[in-house]
Amino acid sequence: MKNPRKQFGFSRTILALSVLAAFGLAHAEEDDVAQLVNPHSTVSVGLSAASGDSKDRTIFNQYSGLRDNNSNLLLDYNIVKRNDATGLWTTSQGNNLGLDNRDLSFSQNKQGDWKYSIGYSELVRHDPRTINTGVQGVGTSTLTVSSLAAPGAGTDLNLEIKRSGISLSGEKWLTSNLMLEVTAKNEDKKGARLSGTGIACTPAGMSSITCSSLSAAMLMLPEPIDSTTKQIEARLNFSGDKLLLSGGYYGSFYSNANGSLNSTLASWNLYNPDGSTLATTAAPGSILAGLLQQPVALPPDNQANQVYVSGHYAFTPTTHSTFKYAYTHATQNETFSSMGLTGMPSGVNNLAGVVDSNVAQFGLTARPIEKLSLLGNVHYASKDDKTPLAAYSGAYTNDTHSSKKLNGKLEAGYALPQNLRATLGVDYESEHRDAPVSTAAVLNAALNPLTGLREDTHEVGYRAELKRSMTETINAVVSYVQSKRDGGSWLNIGPANPVGTYPMTMMDRKRDKVKLSGDWTPTNKLSLQFLLENGKDTYTGPTAKGLRDTGMNSYGVDAELKVTDFWKMTGYVSQSTQTQHVDYSTGYLAELKNTNTNFGVGVVGNPSSKLELGGNLLYVNDNNSYQQSMASGTPIVGGGLPDVTNRVISLKLYGKYALQTNAYIRADMVYQNAKTNEWTWDSFTYSDNTTVSMQPNQKAVFLGASYIYQF
Amino acid sequence: MNFLQKNWILGVLIGCLAWVPAALAEDAPVQQNQAASATATADAIALSMKKDAICTRCHDESETKPILALYQTKHGNRADPRTPNCQSCHGESDKHLHGDPAQKGRAAPDVRFGVRRGTSGDFAPNSAEEQSGKCLACHKKDANRSHWEGSVHQSQDITCTQCHNIHSPRDKVRDRATQTEVCFTCHKDQRAQINRLSHHPIPEGKMTCSDCHNPHGSIGPKLMKRDSINDVCYTCHMEKRGPFVYAHEPVGEDCTTCHNPHGTSAESLLKMRPPFLCQSCHTPHTTVQPSLSSQTAGSPNSLGWWNGSAITQGRGCVNCHTQIHGSNNPSLVNPAPQNLFR
Repeated sequence: MKNPRKQFGFSRTILALSVLAAFGLAHAEEDDVAQLVNPHSTVSVGLSAASGDSKDRTIFNQYSGLRDNNSNLLLDYNIVKRNDATGLWTTSQGNNLGLDNRDLSFSQNKQGDWKYSIGYSELVRHDPRTINTGVQGVGTSTLTVSSLAAPGAGTDLNLEIKRSGISLSGEKWLTSNLMLEVTAKNEDKKGARLSGTGIACTPAGMSSITCSSLSAAMLMLPEPIDSTTKQIEARLNFSGDKLLLSGGYYGSFYSNANGSLNSTLASWNLYNPDGSTLATTAAPGSILAGLLQQPVALPPDNQANQVYVSGHYAFTPTTHSTFKYAYTHATQNETFSSMGLTGMPSGVNNLAGVVDSNVAQFGLTARPIEKLSLLGNVHYASKDDKTPLAAYSGAYTNDTHSSKKLNGKLEAGYALPQNLRATLGVDYESEHRDAPVSTAAVLNAALNPLTGLREDTHEVGYRAELKRSMTETINAVVSYVQSKRDGGSWLNIGPANPVGTYPMTMMDRKRDKVKLSGDWTPTNKLSLQFLLENGKDTYTGPTAKGLRDTGMNSYGVDAELKVTDFWKMTGYVSQSTQTQHVDYSTGYLAELKNTNTNFGVGVVGNPSSKLELGGNLLYVNDNNSYQQSMASGTPIVGGGLPDVTNRVISLKLYGKYALQTNAYIRADMVYQNAKTNEWTWDSFTYSDNTTVSMQPNQKAVFLGASYIYQF
Repeated sequence: MNFLQKNWILGVLIGCLAWVPAALAEDAPVQQNQAASATATADAIALSMKKDAICTRCHDESETKPILALYQTKHGNRADPRTPNCQSCHGESDKHLHGDPAQKGRAAPDVRFGVRRGTSGDFAPNSAEEQSGKCLACHKKDANRSHWEGSVHQSQDITCTQCHNIHSPRDKVRDRATQTEVCFTCHKDQRAQINRLSHHPIPEGKMTCSDCHNPHGSIGPKLMKRDSINDVCYTCHMEKRGPFVYAHEPVGEDCTTCHNPHGTSAESLLKMRPPFLCQSCHTPHTTVQPSLSSQTAGSPNSLGWWNGSAITQGRGCVNCHTQIHGSNNPSLVNPAPQNLFR
């Protein structure tokens, strides 16, 4: 297919080839040809400015990489160099170098022989919420909590998490059939995330905590997340005519710089939610204060080592198999004392956690006749938790969590007359979870967080799909999925509870889903895509409580229009609705509904051979409703929860103008309006009067201008 | 590492310094043997272009997919004897070149790529198997494609060129900044999800689909790069792996029981807001109903946090059950670690 006019304004191929035929490359037109056939490199330098106060763009700034100041350097480069004599590629790329989400890479590659690369990347996640607090020592594992005289009287704190990663990779073809690949990645994570502790006196069902009166307290304690993850993988690949076989090792290692989070109350007064003082010099305040200052265990160091073989075998050109086996040995043995934790059973220094896992997979595909394709796949995974038991909680021990999972599928596709293709499939999944093996807390009837567990669940699903090319410009697909999950008998954990809740992952489930999609290309200039989907999951358990059903409906239309030879437009609209119906054991019923509407339109064009313009507009409206009612007919506290609507309007525009054949200027503008009536933190005050907030209506404007040089 | 973090400019310099010697080292022999090398370069490209000229005499830069840009790509690296020419992929196409007496007008080339008429000239495309077969003839040696056969993309007749633009030096799907545009052509639900307030940095271009998925096939569910959903999540969130003294069972089974990694309305990528999510498995504490702190003012509960607000606002149930992913605290003392309090 031809475009009537390209940005060059003339066909260079004809020219180039005629030149080549006559003189080869050493001709006056060599530059033109070289520009077309040689890789290009670019450097882009510019400046950006962002509008307003940083609190006005916390949603926009979450991952934008923009620094706190309003102006930032824009610096990117992409060097691609190829030695045509040796075939050696040398590339280096730098993105967002003036921002906090920069990345750099360098690589060399001799195609079909060897390759290596090194990369460095940063990513900062700015928590969009502002914390007003008197907590000191944020970012460390030792925090001092000083209560504020009133909410808002503290200092503003903006938490952030910074990831910095270095990666190395290399590959070498040892022979024409044997290749060695090695990759290694180290990532450091620094910063703190929103966390905290809370405790209540005599909460129902938790009689082990007694303060002798109805009271509770809650503290905001940022969790330091300074840690390092390392991953290394080495793989040897053999490729023959019929067999592709890989054997490898994958190791992953986590190391946390902090073992526990410790807090000290510097001020001996806390506050109740109504603003009254909760004196910590006498019970119940003193008891609560003592409880809140207990150390919190942070994630322990852990590691896993895996060896595997994997590959593909072609029995015939139309019959193939795939396979993999992997064995993983994972351990967690950080000593409690090194984490700053005490109270372990005598003689126990660490968990000595060991989990061995096996994964095996085998798949077969065949096309016995031209019109028929068959597919079968079986996948088995087992987890053997060999962690020793110890009486960590007095009468109760820890527990182990071993499991076995088997998945399988069979699928057949057949080409029917009239351009129809039918596919039928059966999916099977079974899971076995070992029953609790000890006197673990989960069996404590007094705690009773779960009503029952199930050792075995099985699910069988059936799929049918019909695809038809009705004409050369219209295609349609309709598919239907039905599955049913059931399982073995329930292990009732607590006392018989007629209104108990059972885990949604173990309850019987019936799933129905239908999907209709199609595409239509009425003209060469216009193409359309349609999507319509409906699904429902129905849950049943020993009681009529807990999750009852979930539903989803969605539709969408996408369009692509070639307005003129120089302008192209894209657009889409989609809406999805998800519902959850939950009957809680305490007598209230919840009907949750999320309606998500998206609208997008984009345009790109070349009004002249030197100018490129583009832009897109995005509108997102995300509404959540939380309808509740009491089974007894009594009113809901406070009338129930209000709806939450998040709305984002984003407009991005750019223009790129060619100053000469290899130099451009580019201007970018981004406008984002993010609006939310989220009430998660509204009127919510921690016991030290710490508050958390976010500006509900945010408007951000970003302007950028760059000079781009291509060589 | 720390040095680099604090001094990113040095990082840039190091990057440049790493490049310059390599570039110079590469350039040195070129300079020394400039004439010979230039001749070899010219010869290689000229030879290749002459071979392709049978096609490019008609198909030129005015094509929707410009032809000569191919020489900027790895497929155009003429020092690599494995690289193809036009007919390697499109077939010898004798009838297309020289005419077919039995057919009116120009016959189709042997192999046409695309999804429908119009995406590959004016001819209907070949079958998905034939199209992908052309690519796999060379690329089947790649271990990352060992599980292509039987993968959902293969069985749904997705071809290589539906995602990859072979003629362009900038293949959208291999560029982290633009990859999602290609994937979202089919995966519309995910396109909407990443625009929700709680999301991974996908719209910002710092994460992309292939960070978690291998579109060429894997043994994991949903074409996960590693063997399970959790194994993929652990590559960045390894602190959740444990094992812990006290585990939260679904955490070790499947992260997506509670989280939707593509984006959600609730914070922390939670599928539902607490306490509704938690209470889909757990029996609620007594008769406490989800409510806002402003709704409970004046009620008996207002003196204590043990009210509907404590499980609904702030961090919801996690206000107290802080270590929801598991606690490694061996202590017997309250707040009880077995309830994942600390």
